[in-house]
Amino acid sequence: MTLRIAIDRELCQGHGVCMDEAPDVVLVIERAGDYGQTSLLTETPPEEMRARVEAAVRHCPNRALRIIETP
Amino acid sequence: MSEAAWPIVSGAKPQLGHYEEFNAHPAKFMLRAWRECGEIAEFSLGEVRNVLLSSPSAYEAVFRALDDQLSPSEPYRFMVPVFGEGIQFGAPLEIERQQVKMQSNALRVDRMKSYAQVIAREVEDWVAGWDDAGEQDFYDEFKELVLRSSTHCLMGSEFRAKLTGEFGALYQDLEHAVSAASIVDPYGQQDAFAKRDRARARLVELISAVIQERRRSGAQSPDMLQSFMEAAYLDGRRLTDDEIVGMVIWIMFAGFHTSSNTATWTIVELARHSEHAARVVREVDSVYEPGGELAHTALRELPALERFVFEVLRLHPPLVTLMRLVKRDFAFKGVVIPAGLNIVVSPYVAHRLPESFPDAERFDPERAFPENVFAYIPFGGGRRKCVGNAFALLQVKAIFAALLARYEFSLVDAPETYRDDMPSLILRTSEPCRLRYRRRRKQPGASA
Repeated sequence: MTLRIAIDRELCQGHGVCMDEAPDVVLVIERAGDYGQTSLLTETPPEEMRARVEAAVRHCPNRALRIIETP
Repeated sequence: MSEAAWPIVSGAKPQLGHYEEFNAHPAKFMLRAWRECGEIAEFSLGEVRNVLLSSPSAYEAVFRALDDQLSPSEPYRFMVPVFGEGIQFGAPLEIERQQVKMQSNALRVDRMKSYAQVIAREVEDWVAGWDDAGEQDFYDEFKELVLRSSTHCLMGSEFRAKLTGEFGALYQDLEHAVSAASIVDPYGQQDAFAKRDRARARLVELISAVIQERRRSGAQSPDMLQSFMEAAYLDGRRLTDDEIVGMVIWIMFAGFHTSSNTATWTIVELARHSEHAARVVREVDSVYEPGGELAHTALRELPALERFVFEVLRLHPPLVTLMRLVKRDFAFKGVVIPAGLNIVVSPYVAHRLPESFPDAERFDPERAFPENVFAYIPFGGGRRKCVGNAFALLQVKAIFAALLARYEFSLVDAPETYRDDMPSLILRTSEPCRLRYRRRRKQPGASA
């Protein structure tokens, strides 16, 4: 199984919780006059980052991130 | 209007439409509308035609639509005399978007980390006046506690020190004016609207005085008031003092009765469901003891308390009427809802759909929640979801961690007499909302 992460940008308000949990995986780019926008630094984080990625997903206030396991 | 491709809710009266029944209890009316008509149900408030949509796919379509197709500005114009001209929907949408961004800055994760402890201290101060056992109306009590703790977190300790009972009463006057009548005409002749205007004028005086004093003293605090004072629009223009006051009224209003009513329903449901409450208390005891530090990270890892509050928000969502004006025809499942109609989404109905929540009326914090993000919408959804949702959850959890560590609670009246009541558009517990409290005996490890 490969750890794969996906983001729904229409749900994201740039709160930054994910970046706080997993700064190697997600980056919130600040934008003037609008919500920050979250970018994935990698869509397939290495297995050793699983716990932090799961925390980022779990604590997102808008449930904008999800994990997809691919074989 | 009878040629519409969808059913119209029964019981409309000439001129009034469904106004009287909606006004009496918006949540119950919309639940009846969905039961009678299903996924698409039309009702009218005076001359305003509304289409209530009720399914997760409808919620997704509505929340993903852009503002230039489904606009919140017109249906929520009744908030303009509450927050002020030039604020939120009293301003063009591109200004409103920048204002929401300014508000979300105070709710970012780095700020949130200090809030749990501030709220726990406020609970300590609040219960300091309690006896070992007693009886209170918790609707009133939680209004006071939420106002104090929100003010402390968001506006800073200096503002908090100036907070008097007058503020709560003024906000109550604002809330009473947010009603079915205000949807129809927020500027009509009504005692409630006259009181609203007086309350806002007095809040402007009180908040302006704090702003001016801070400007005079040059004090810097890392709070929201400061960030509003330093904020600028994209064109470089700073907020006027009047805009800052409006922003403060807005954010405090948004998180006041919504959160305090959630706290009130939480304490009632805890007292109603002792077996679930015992689980929540054991969990709280494992991370916090009275007088200790309440860490943000510890507060996040309280799944039983969190599930409990989610279940409260499922059955008793404070906001039950989310509205958009159709600006460009909106197609959904083969029908077209034309420009000029309102689309209404009701979390109260959404949380009772059997495909999302089997046996929906049963309070069960252990129940499985649907995977679909759009099935559970206590804070709305999409880009216009409540930006304070994480703060609200943190606040309610911090209040109950600090409270349940010290006291246990029981209902004074028969359990079924505590009901959803809607004297305004914000759902609350019926009056009175009396509970008994009793100080827990110091027995580390043992639950109450």
